[in-house]
Amino acid sequence: MRNFNFPESRSLKLKEMMGYDRHRVVEQGVCVSDLAEFGLEHLFRKGLLNRDDFDALILVTQSPDHFMPPTSNIIQGRLNLKHDLLCLDINQGCAGFLIGLVQAFLLLEQESVRKVVVINADVMSRKTSTKDRNSYPLIGDAASIALVERDTQDSVIYANLKMDGNRNEALMIPAGGFRMPSTPETAVLEDVGDNNLRANDHLRMDGSAVFNFVQVEVPPMIESLLSFAGESMESVDLFLCHQPNRFMLQKLADKMKLPYEKMPMNVVEQFGNSSGVTIPMTIALNLRSRLPKRGLQVCLAGFGVGLTWSSMLMRLQTLHFCELIDFPNRAAA
Amino acid sequence: MDDFYTKLADILEVEAVKPEDVLREFENWDSLTALSILATLDASYGINLSTAELREIKTVAELAATVTSRRSK
Repeated sequence: MRNFNFPESRSLKLKEMMGYDRHRVVEQGVCVSDLAEFGLEHLFRKGLLNRDDFDALILVTQSPDHFMPPTSNIIQGRLNLKHDLLCLDINQGCAGFLIGLVQAFLLLEQESVRKVVVINADVMSRKTSTKDRNSYPLIGDAASIALVERDTQDSVIYANLKMDGNRNEALMIPAGGFRMPSTPETAVLEDVGDNNLRANDHLRMDGSAVFNFVQVEVPPMIESLLSFAGESMESVDLFLCHQPNRFMLQKLADKMKLPYEKMPMNVVEQFGNSSGVTIPMTIALNLRSRLPKRGLQVCLAGFGVGLTWSSMLMRLQTLHFCELIDFPNRAAA
Repeated sequence: MDDFYTKLADILEVEAVKPEDVLREFENWDSLTALSILATLDASYGINLSTAELREIKTVAELAATVTSRRSK
């Protein structure tokens, strides 16, 4: 915290409120396809997934290797996967894991699609100014791989998703696309208030606007999902939410009148905010071996860039494999 | 509204606030303070103030007036 140009007491206050501590970021040069390839190879090697057994590969990311080709195609090529594989990139962030799942469910309506691999991965640290105290200490890089297939027990999954593109500027990287190509000027750091230095090439987040958005939009979304499903707040065992920071989750739990133990909020302090990946990470970190056989009624919720917000109600039963694995540090290898 | 003044003083980490005090002139004023104010208004008074609205508010008295008028709605 000493690296930033602030009174240290204010930085410590920020750390305490937001729950920063450690975060995981990739080494220079590491891309989303590297994380995805490593994770899939792990599953193949352990016999948890056969490389010919899935018919679609969905990659949800905001940090593709290139504008073109799609990063999902790159992953397919690097792993020599079959040609009869639908590769699909989806550009979504904090709600991206849920958007990826919804897309997988739609694909599974097709009989010819047996299993869908949903990869959610981001390396946003590479687009975050190290001199932006409000963003850099909480950003994290991560990838998740979820295998989605039909359930013979026919249990219903309820979901809703909402978007408001009018508020697209609350979370964005202004430069680097076609609207504002990256130039030496877009790399120039500017003081954006509170002595935070940031360039147009960097991730920009209007923290207060996002806070407001979450408090106003998320509780009614979850209420309407539960009411449609004929469930109540009490009948949900756990609310597994995107993990922006501890402060926002506590305020969300307060607003929904939920005890904190029903909403895990321990990801940011250990891993940082890796956008949509924080939801599967919350599951892996908190539930991996603790899922009872009868399962748990869980409500997932993601909210952020877009703006996009989504929730999903499902019975999560014992998962065949649900582990966190470390991406090797190349410099140390 | 005494309660509101106490809460605001806590957030700003000062002994007390006066109606004529200018928000941005407090030593601890920063985006974290602004966020804490928005969160407190929401949690304690059920008021969802936007960042843009807060930016327009200059003094403690103006903020108190906003709270009073929004609460009565």
